Amino acid sequence: MQILTQLVFSGIALGMIYAVIAFGYQLTFATSDTLNFGQGDALMLGALVGLTLVEKLGLNYWLMIPLVCVFGVLQGALVERIGVRPALKIKSEFGWIMSTIALGIIFKNVAENVWGRDDLKFPSPLPESPLHFLGANILPMEILVVVGAVGMMLAVEVFNRRSIYGRAVVATFNDRDAAKLMGINTGLVITFSYALSSLSAAFAGVLIAPLTLTGATMGAVLGLKAFAVAIIGGLTSGMGIILGGVILGIAETTTGFYISTGYKDVPGLVLLLIVLAVKPAGLFGKTAIKKV
Amino acid sequence: MRFASRALAAVALAAGVGAALAADPVKIGLSGPFTGGSSSMGVSMRDGVRLAVSEINKSGGVLGRQIVLVERDDEAKNERGVQIAQELINKEKVAVTVGFINTGVALASQRFYQEAKIPVMNNVATGSLITHQFDDQAENYIFRNAAHDSIQAPMVVEEAITRRGFKKVAILADSTNYGQLGREDLEKALALKGIKPVAVEKFNIKDVDMTAQLLKAKEAGAEAVLTYGIGPELAQIANGMTKLGWKVPMIGSWTLSMANFIDNAGPGGEGARMPQTFIQEPTTPKRQSFIIAYLKMFSPKNNRIDSPVSAAQGYDSVYLLAAAIKQAGSTDGPKIKAALEDLKTPVEGVVTTYNHPFTAKDHDAITANIPVIGEVKGQRVVYAYPDDQKKASEVRVKDPNAKGALTIQK
Repeated sequence: MQILTQLVFSGIALGMIYAVIAFGYQLTFATSDTLNFGQGDALMLGALVGLTLVEKLGLNYWLMIPLVCVFGVLQGALVERIGVRPALKIKSEFGWIMSTIALGIIFKNVAENVWGRDDLKFPSPLPESPLHFLGANILPMEILVVVGAVGMMLAVEVFNRRSIYGRAVVATFNDRDAAKLMGINTGLVITFSYALSSLSAAFAGVLIAPLTLTGATMGAVLGLKAFAVAIIGGLTSGMGIILGGVILGIAETTTGFYISTGYKDVPGLVLLLIVLAVKPAGLFGKTAIKKV
Repeated sequence: MRFASRALAAVALAAGVGAALAADPVKIGLSGPFTGGSSSMGVSMRDGVRLAVSEINKSGGVLGRQIVLVERDDEAKNERGVQIAQELINKEKVAVTVGFINTGVALASQRFYQEAKIPVMNNVATGSLITHQFDDQAENYIFRNAAHDSIQAPMVVEEAITRRGFKKVAILADSTNYGQLGREDLEKALALKGIKPVAVEKFNIKDVDMTAQLLKAKEAGAEAVLTYGIGPELAQIANGMTKLGWKVPMIGSWTLSMANFIDNAGPGGEGARMPQTFIQEPTTPKRQSFIIAYLKMFSPKNNRIDSPVSAAQGYDSVYLLAAAIKQAGSTDGPKIKAALEDLKTPVEGVVTTYNHPFTAKDHDAITANIPVIGEVKGQRVVYAYPDDQKKASEVRVKDPNAKGALTIQK
């Protein structure tokens, strides 16, 4: 029982790492039906910028977070302006896929040149000794990731539901042309959603960096796993993303323990295939009927 | 005017030919990962090589010619290594090549050198197969001055089972060629002691969570964890142990001495033990002058060489080749190879004194009696046993009959 608790705890912590990244996919999908495939790289840039602020400028971890968020906003807006807007303008179905991937690769190469390709340690703002809880161990930093992820998602959900700007976001998702006719600057809304998505990625980066290692290649594997989470949970549901992440995380740790560590990535991907076959909108996504 | 320019051209031509005759430099290729997860080994090796080359050049070069290094970053990728091998052979026309950190890259690249009859000195890669890849051919151009896995795995087992008395051990190895070949060697070495590991677990490069692997080892009652992997993931294992509040000794291949393991694992990495051919301590005059010169030339952080073993072996590899070129009196591949297989004058290196280090059949300079066990202590690698440190000034030389190595089967 104790083992299972430990596996579940570690799975939740791991899943939350995936979920915070996956959340960024959901944000842009919710306004423009497009995804930023450079999400993993936005995360990596956020973590590395954060590391530089902490190590080189001697900034406090908590003071650094807002600055990294500002950086994320600028980076996201840049991606949208350069990569996504031209594609949306000509109603290209796939242009944005290529351009966001290309931008992601460019960001990675820039990071390799600026920070090198070695994995660096991100100093942990919290004590690194584990806490005991229900007979299992958990790191304070893991709790922070869970709290940070849930907090961020709640903030965005509240923003979307309560504020007039949030309503503009929802309206843009529901029907971009109608929203435009109603006087909503949909272009700005989409830019905003990209900025918000990279903000969440950059925030996720500094949140998880003390647990993972920090380096130019950290985004690749995590970005891909997060994409699987976004598909499993559903791209239209913030809550689905959290649950999708937790499911994938727990699937990985329990398979690793009960079956074989060599196969730990398999069940999550099998689940992905099943979800795509049975419920393509994701476990918690709303099936949208597209009228042509 | 026309005459002047012609005269100038003629002079330039003459000067060019003259220079070529007098001091056409000896080109040495250098292939290793200077970026990425293996870079602490690659960069230290490169710096060791650079140091040796600059020393040799200062004292007049070899055969009266200066040595020029042609450095290439293989990024620890097999396909990059192959491209670089072809470039160095066909375009740069190197006389010899040193390097290779990654066993996979070495195995993929060296057949081009073998075909071109250009000797390769592997100074870091440890895969047992490396020097035996071309056993079926009449001549073998692949040499090595690093402790291969057939030495390292039994040393790890000897340390865990015999010296420390552990009965139950778990193996954690990464899913690369390096990790899985090493795991096989560990299992073989354990079997010779009549022990079966209680858990054998795998992890991928870039894995961020080791809970499942460690819990399995813990549940199986492992008293020690034997590792085969590289720095960043080894650090995740140490961090995972801290998290689970389960602390057993980590004993593994020499990669536990990598700076990116020591730095990323922090206090969790203290006490890890591994075989080392060189420990950054001035135990002989040669080692002292090497350490001083290295620190002066490259000033690494906290005066700690990122991977002392790689630096020392990189340094030695150049001196071995220089001695062979001198003896051969030529930069012709087959002649250098013949000289390496029958080196007449001993070469005093940092790791050991190389007295007839190679023969036609044996292309490994390091035997099981040379490495010692190192331990991570205070963020550096030190001698694990005071006895080894006391006796460190007696240089351990190659002993072809040294016991403890696994027999290599191809």
